[in-house]
Amino acid sequence: MRRLVEKRTLIFLTLAILVWAVSISSLAGYFYLQNTTYTKQIAENQQSLNKTASNYDESMSKCNMLSSEYAALYVNYSDPPSTNFTLLTGLLGGVVDNLMGNYSYLLMNQKDLNDTYHDLLNQTIATCQRGNVSKEEFGELLSESYELFNLLVIRELSGLVSETVTVAVSACIDYGNGTVEWHNGTNLPAGSSLFQLTQEIATVDPKYYSWAWPGHIFIEAVNGKKESISYHAEYSDGYSWMWYYWNSDEQKWVSGPVGCDAWMLKDGGVYKWSFEYWRFDWY
Amino acid sequence: MKSRLSSPRKLALFGVLAALCLAIQLTPRPPNVEFTSFLTFTVGVICGALDGAFFGCFIMFVNGFLSPYGFAGLNMPFQMFGMAIAGILGGVYRKLMPEQIDSARFCTETAIVGAVIALIFDLVTNVGVGFQLVLSGTNFALAMLTAIAYGVFFSMVHIFSNTAVFGILTLPSIKTLNNLVRGEKIG
Repeated sequence: MRRLVEKRTLIFLTLAILVWAVSISSLAGYFYLQNTTYTKQIAENQQSLNKTASNYDESMSKCNMLSSEYAALYVNYSDPPSTNFTLLTGLLGGVVDNLMGNYSYLLMNQKDLNDTYHDLLNQTIATCQRGNVSKEEFGELLSESYELFNLLVIRELSGLVSETVTVAVSACIDYGNGTVEWHNGTNLPAGSSLFQLTQEIATVDPKYYSWAWPGHIFIEAVNGKKESISYHAEYSDGYSWMWYYWNSDEQKWVSGPVGCDAWMLKDGGVYKWSFEYWRFDWY
Repeated sequence: MKSRLSSPRKLALFGVLAALCLAIQLTPRPPNVEFTSFLTFTVGVICGALDGAFFGCFIMFVNGFLSPYGFAGLNMPFQMFGMAIAGILGGVYRKLMPEQIDSARFCTETAIVGAVIALIFDLVTNVGVGFQLVLSGTNFALAMLTAIAYGVFFSMVHIFSNTAVFGILTLPSIKTLNNLVRGEKIG
């Protein structure tokens, strides 16, 4: 009896099915692998978002608590005419101390904030110990303290964002003698300041000035090149490090309007440190 | 025992086909659309499994140095082995070919063989890629799975193109080459 399907045909049919089966299985394997990878990534991203949300809540709770303490001090500072400002300065010392308690990791790790904090704390303690604090003196300390508090909140929130977002910036250092050193595509956490970028790309010698605002840091030397200032009867002049940012709309360098520690970097931003001559007439 | 390649005519055929393979390999074309396995299979059919395997090995060895995708490196032995299988299957196919076979059936069969060759070649070379991943520190099972899974789209293209190339070109090319080596005892 003749077979219904020839053996040879059966073999080739089997081979064709085998090729089809292996191809489809491999394709299914590929999509399974992709699906597993993306599911894992989505889970990680979700976890990261949850962590950010949780940290944000925690940060806002701290912020609200400290804001309440400042509000109480401002009420006492503004309203009653017979307020004891020496006593209030003591209370302010407690609030400043609370800043360290709540933002210790920021104050320990960021030099500009650390300097501002210790300067403020020393001033508060000295003023309190001296006694007989005037309203103006207290107001000044309160204002500085509140400014530091706001800066800490901004830095902490920036830090939360920076866990998932980074900025890529470019910067150049113009030594004023024809040498210009470029640092392109430097990646930093979102919320970093120009001061942090400068520390990243060069060896700097920063100087802290409590009277300067916003931003307390002046850069006195970059990669060993130090500023030189001469004081005269009618004017002072010298060479110092100035910073600029590139305005891409107007296609020009714009002089830095604040201290470098108060200027937040933006993604794709271009910055310049320039060693240049300046002159200031006293009259 | 006298080698099949002792015939000058066959040696010349070998040389011409090898040059043709390499020229096609160096010609710009869609990825994984190739004619080497087809020509290797054809050599296997005309000259036998051993010669087909040798031809496939030789072509992939040379191609490993000249490929536009760069030096094959650690994957070269796998490519040579994969292509040798194409030559062997050519010889086996010749042995199992019936005395009388109509053209349509022959084309269908060779198209299926082309798909099988593409599948085997891709599996072997993907395993080669997997070994490279293992050497770079990836876990063995993950390396193999990754290499095979991420090579699947290239394999699909290879299988489809080989099916078409084998189905369309094998019959006329074998007829032509048989005429060329007429007078020799082949197979």
